[in-house]
Amino acid sequence: MFGFYSPGEISLPARRDFLLQAGLGFGSVALASMLQNEKTGASEIAEPLALRPPHFPGQVKSIIWLFMTGAPSQVDTWDYKPELQKRHGQELAGSDPKTGFFTTSGKCLKSPFAWAQHGESGSWVSDLFPHLSKHVDKMCFLHSMYLKQNNHAPASLELMCGTNRPGLPALGAWMTYGLGSQNQSLPSFVVLHDTRPRGDDQIWSAGFLPKTYQAMTLDARRKESIDNLVRDTRHSDGQQRSQLDLLRELNQKHANTRPTQADLAARINSFELAYRMQMAAPEALDLTRESESIHKLYGMDNPECATFSRQCLLARRLVERGVRFVQIFAGKGVGGDGSVNDVPWDCHSDVQTNHRSCGLHTDQPAAALLADLEARGLLDSTLVIWGGEFGRTSDSQGDKGRDHNPNGFTIWMAGAGVKGGFHYGATDPFGYKAVENKVHVNDLHATLLHLLGLDHTKLTHRFNGRDFRLTDVGGEVLKEILRNPVA
Amino acid sequence: MSSLISRVMALIMVALIMVVSTTTIAADEEGVRFFEQKIRPVLVEHCYGCHSVEAQSQKKLQGGLFLDSAAGVAAGGETGPALIKGNAAESLLLKAMKYDGMEMPPTGRLSDEVIADFAKWIDSGAPDPREGNAPVKLKREINLEEGKQWWSFQPLKDVPLPDPHKPIDGFIRQAQEANGLKPNHSAAKEKLIRRAYFDLIGLPPAPEQVMAFVADSSSNAFEKVVDELLAKPAYGERWARHWLDTARFAESGGYEFDGFRPGAYHYRDWVIRSLNNDMPYDQFVKMQLAGDILQPDDINGAAATGFLVAGPYPGQITAKTVERIRYDQLDDMMMTIGGSMLGLTLGCVRCHDHKYDPIPHQDYYALAASLATTAHGPRTLDLDEVATEKATEKHKADHEPLVAALNEFSAKELPARFVAWRDKELEKQPETTRWQALEANATEAERSWLKVLPNGMIVHDGLLSPGANVRQRGQRRNVRNEESYRLTFSTHQKNIQSLRLDAFTDKSLPQRGPGLSADGSFQLAEIIVTAGPLDSLDPAAIQTLKLKPVFAAFEDDKQPIINSVDGNPGTAWVVRTTAKKDNAAVFELESPLAGFPNGTEIIVELKFVDMGIGRLRISASVDPNPATWAGDVSPQHMGELRAVAAAHKGEMPESVKVSLARWFAPFDSEMAGKFNPVRDHAAAAPRPNLQEVYTTVAGGQDVFFLRRGEVDNKQGKAEPGYLQVLWRSPEPSKPTASASAEHPRASMANWMTDVERGAGPLLARVVVNRLWQHHMGQGIVGTPNDFGFQGDKPTHPELLDYLAGELVRGGWRLKTLHRSILLSETYQQSHEVNPENQAIDPGNRFLWHHQPHRLEAETIRDALLAVGGNLDSTIYGPSVLDNTQRRSVYLRVKRSELLPVMTMFDAPEPTQSIGERSVTTVPTQALALMNSPLVRQQAEKLSARIKAVGDVSLPAAVQQGYQLTFSRLPTEEEQIMMLAFIDQQRAAAGGESPDASDRALVEFCHVLLCLNEFVYVD
Repeated sequence: MFGFYSPGEISLPARRDFLLQAGLGFGSVALASMLQNEKTGASEIAEPLALRPPHFPGQVKSIIWLFMTGAPSQVDTWDYKPELQKRHGQELAGSDPKTGFFTTSGKCLKSPFAWAQHGESGSWVSDLFPHLSKHVDKMCFLHSMYLKQNNHAPASLELMCGTNRPGLPALGAWMTYGLGSQNQSLPSFVVLHDTRPRGDDQIWSAGFLPKTYQAMTLDARRKESIDNLVRDTRHSDGQQRSQLDLLRELNQKHANTRPTQADLAARINSFELAYRMQMAAPEALDLTRESESIHKLYGMDNPECATFSRQCLLARRLVERGVRFVQIFAGKGVGGDGSVNDVPWDCHSDVQTNHRSCGLHTDQPAAALLADLEARGLLDSTLVIWGGEFGRTSDSQGDKGRDHNPNGFTIWMAGAGVKGGFHYGATDPFGYKAVENKVHVNDLHATLLHLLGLDHTKLTHRFNGRDFRLTDVGGEVLKEILRNPVA
Repeated sequence: MSSLISRVMALIMVALIMVVSTTTIAADEEGVRFFEQKIRPVLVEHCYGCHSVEAQSQKKLQGGLFLDSAAGVAAGGETGPALIKGNAAESLLLKAMKYDGMEMPPTGRLSDEVIADFAKWIDSGAPDPREGNAPVKLKREINLEEGKQWWSFQPLKDVPLPDPHKPIDGFIRQAQEANGLKPNHSAAKEKLIRRAYFDLIGLPPAPEQVMAFVADSSSNAFEKVVDELLAKPAYGERWARHWLDTARFAESGGYEFDGFRPGAYHYRDWVIRSLNNDMPYDQFVKMQLAGDILQPDDINGAAATGFLVAGPYPGQITAKTVERIRYDQLDDMMMTIGGSMLGLTLGCVRCHDHKYDPIPHQDYYALAASLATTAHGPRTLDLDEVATEKATEKHKADHEPLVAALNEFSAKELPARFVAWRDKELEKQPETTRWQALEANATEAERSWLKVLPNGMIVHDGLLSPGANVRQRGQRRNVRNEESYRLTFSTHQKNIQSLRLDAFTDKSLPQRGPGLSADGSFQLAEIIVTAGPLDSLDPAAIQTLKLKPVFAAFEDDKQPIINSVDGNPGTAWVVRTTAKKDNAAVFELESPLAGFPNGTEIIVELKFVDMGIGRLRISASVDPNPATWAGDVSPQHMGELRAVAAAHKGEMPESVKVSLARWFAPFDSEMAGKFNPVRDHAAAAPRPNLQEVYTTVAGGQDVFFLRRGEVDNKQGKAEPGYLQVLWRSPEPSKPTASASAEHPRASMANWMTDVERGAGPLLARVVVNRLWQHHMGQGIVGTPNDFGFQGDKPTHPELLDYLAGELVRGGWRLKTLHRSILLSETYQQSHEVNPENQAIDPGNRFLWHHQPHRLEAETIRDALLAVGGNLDSTIYGPSVLDNTQRRSVYLRVKRSELLPVMTMFDAPEPTQSIGERSVTTVPTQALALMNSPLVRQQAEKLSARIKAVGDVSLPAAVQQGYQLTFSRLPTEEEQIMMLAFIDQQRAAAGGESPDASDRALVEFCHVLLCLNEFVYVD
């Protein structure tokens, strides 16, 4: 129930019995409060992080989403378009200059990268990804993604929360809301970022759900990563422990005379959990516990990708410890094309320089993550997702750049529950618009929830008189991409 | 019509139809064949999956459209009939297949060939032999008359009181008795006062306040406490926070870049102030909907409508998204108005009729149209116009005696003193320089404050933002973007031949100036000089002087000095590249200014393209050819004294005596004693306290009715109106606002608060419920933002109507309502649990005990600061971060960077109206209490407070700690446990040293702050 750290593993002689009781009592308290919640629609959830059963057995326990902040170009990464290569400089039929944020030329811009087929699946990959291309047979490509928003923050909102308007819960928040947390000593939804991406807190928000479901963010630029994890230096462990003992005793007496207040008991538990978090969280975040070969595999010695490699390795350690959803917002690469730190893949002026640098920053660590998860058997329960907030135009912006394009882009998933070396949907011959088996973000979310064992039409929360869903009023599970569509 | 006739008629009709049918059969046979070959297979393969009776049975039906029967095709779906027979081009079905607007089938566009077949089929009349049931009409028809019967939409009921002496308790007891519940005994006094303090002002009582209340045995002891609390400014701070939740208040735009709105806090302050002043709630609502119209150009009106525009708004907008964003903004206003004021979920009606409540789709756009001309932005207004006006009045009143004294002195004493001085001293005085610096009597500027230094320098003394609304000399004006200075001088000298304008640099100016533009430049469009007699107001006597520029320290070929005298405001003398240097221009008068016998008034107007000059001086000369000589300058005094002496050898006119005072003052200390106070006092005239307010501004455009809420699907302009279900007037059955001459938003505000015909009854019920909820822990209606069909029904409907009626009858005063609730026995009962009651009503729906509740995020932080003794009680002002000791209502609310100390304890996301916060219990909260610097510091401060009380014996210290933190003394058992804990901590910290004792006391205080009792109020 407590994931990596079961209560017994921590040496707290006087408290062990109590903790076990608390642990056992957890589920029932939570269930009661959830039931009450459904009945009255009231918003009190005494144990919001307690484990809850899925709607049906899920195939995925954890998701790692490698968010390629700023939006990579589909036609320069995973969606090979020979027609575009051939018609470089010619008019792009059907191009709409208002597709992007600025205006585009209407003239085809070929991919400046070399393409080759890889793996048994013969999947086409550009030379931006020498490492990831070795894993194409694990990947399930969705080539026909589309959404409605054409700017970073609204599109990120749409991609993470199902609609472009702020105030709605993100996928990670819905996951914990639906399933609870697998590890009470660590947050269930973790965001790793460098420069904060456009949209900021709003794209990993808990929206109208209790704030508990909001992501905990770990800023790659900060040393102290979790607030309040470290005691005041003049406050020793022994002091704190005896404080907590006294606190529990007095709180228990207080709670005994207030039997209708379930949250008082929860609050007593929360102090013990916090005490354990103080030890568990630093351990989880401590990368020095990994071997040198692992450091090398992820590329931590390579300054071009050091930040992203740390984040990927951290993601693996967190998933190992039961964290449900880790989202990494890729930070800046080597740069040099004038792109901005909070949207590094945003190749308005020069797709070649920009994507080369972003590729170097992300390729090796992402590939290492897949290899490492596989080696540890974690890829059977973990789903890795790679993609940006939208695609890019097949016609050029200026001479060498590409503008935003929400009408067609590729993301891939690899790992638990999905077919490997599989290509779903397609864009037109120029990669400009999704035309075949189009996948809206609602469909993607429905599928992800399905993989987690949740029916997207049943995962609802009553707020201001309406039962909200992550998938709003849409969403179809993409059965074709599932390894086991019946389950 | 008799039955016989009707039967005959029916027969004729049948016959007619048969005739028509037989004639078309032949043509249809071909059509049906075409349908069977080309159309039906496509429909079956690509459309039936989502548009058939079978799809409906599998819950896959989309858009309410059935394409599996001729009747279904004809009836169409949510977007209207699928086709128009004979007109393929206008048929939705074909448009969708062509991916024009809609995209059908969604899996991919069908071939051009197939589309051509469908076009042909429709154009030939869409023959379709398929029978089958006409589809079930899925759409629920809204019945407004039935809808008006819903409990919350009815007029307020006059309800008989079960107990006229205790109205609230009467209703509560009645329901309790009916359910076999026994009322609880009343709470202990120290618990009651703590409850009332937290509920009304959000802060704990001080031990002295608790003791005084416990000792007060008078029957109205609690009443006195309540009245005292309602009168505190902290009451507004506490209750504003509840309202700010419902108003989704934040100080930034969210989305991309999350731009900060520096003037947004005025709305928050307005809410606090209005609650403290007990503004009637109907007025409170009206002001938030239309304050900018009801009190135009008044900061209170502007601050109040900050409500409408407090929602998120994107920072980057493209041509493609602008219209959609506008409708999103209107929707944000609609949702917030609906949720906060009416308890209605209006957001549901943007795309279709409300699924549950009797609100048709059209009503949404009618109400949205009332908001059509509502845009957002900053305005600059006087923070306290009344105070400014008062100060101005006072200044005027103070000025008069000074002027009277000056005039009296000038009339009686000055002439003789001047003559004496003239005869004795004038000769000894130095010659005047060729340039004399003119000293301004008065200055005016469009967008600056100016002041005059003793050496004649006119300096900029503060900017007014363009658009700012100021009141000057009793006139209201909006500050323009183009600066202009109007400088008034006087002289007695004759024959002025040239003028000189100096522009000086200074380190206080942007880029050292001399211009006030960001780069230090200025652009002088025109300089206009007029002269008239000093002793006459006759406009006919005023002459405009013709200027001829003869010198400029800097000139740009394309924008030379001549541009400033060409009479064309479109051209200017631009001084850019010599910024950072002093600058000057010299003008010769085309004909010398002869001057008037009793003095001349000279007015210099400088009209700029945008910003003015930071420091300038105007000089005059009576010598010709000024361009040829260098610029020595001295004040004009000596020239004036000589001129007066020459012109008025004998008795001088009164007007000359007055003007002479200025020039003579530097040479006569008694004269100066009369003149300088007038000059200095005039310079100290009060100015308005101008502040930027984020509010509604002019703008916006027509609102259209949008089918399915899509901006590409406009169905005609929407006219302003109200929700029909909340309109009970015998006159127009469909209420419109446009008929009235009022601004539609003002009409909306009137409708909203109209108890007889409009939404008033619902408005009153919703706010009564909010007060009840925050005092009792749960509302009479459990869903405070949803009084519609999906919301909870009231547990005590008659009580709700009684209180709502009382509110309206009592002039919508919320403080009165607070008072009645707090003075009820129901509020004052104990939190304790009677097991029998609990068995009957575990949810406490019938309020048989007071439910303890956890403090909100703001209150937890405020209480921590309060018990630590260092809460900063400064009221109002720009928001602050949590590194200050201000109350939490003043903490910055930036949408992308909400403060963890607030969100951790469930402060809500400020994007939608929130009527009830969630209450969660998670380890991160415990971590904050265990380890955060804030809590640790407050524990240290609390321990210092305990020690400072004087009696430092440990038992007394423990008692003090309990009193400060929990408003009570420890029990004997607690006392023993705490003393043992302190002993143990002291031993661990090193035994007997004073430091060890201090540290042990801090640990004790830290425990107090972590205890459940600290954050749960009984």
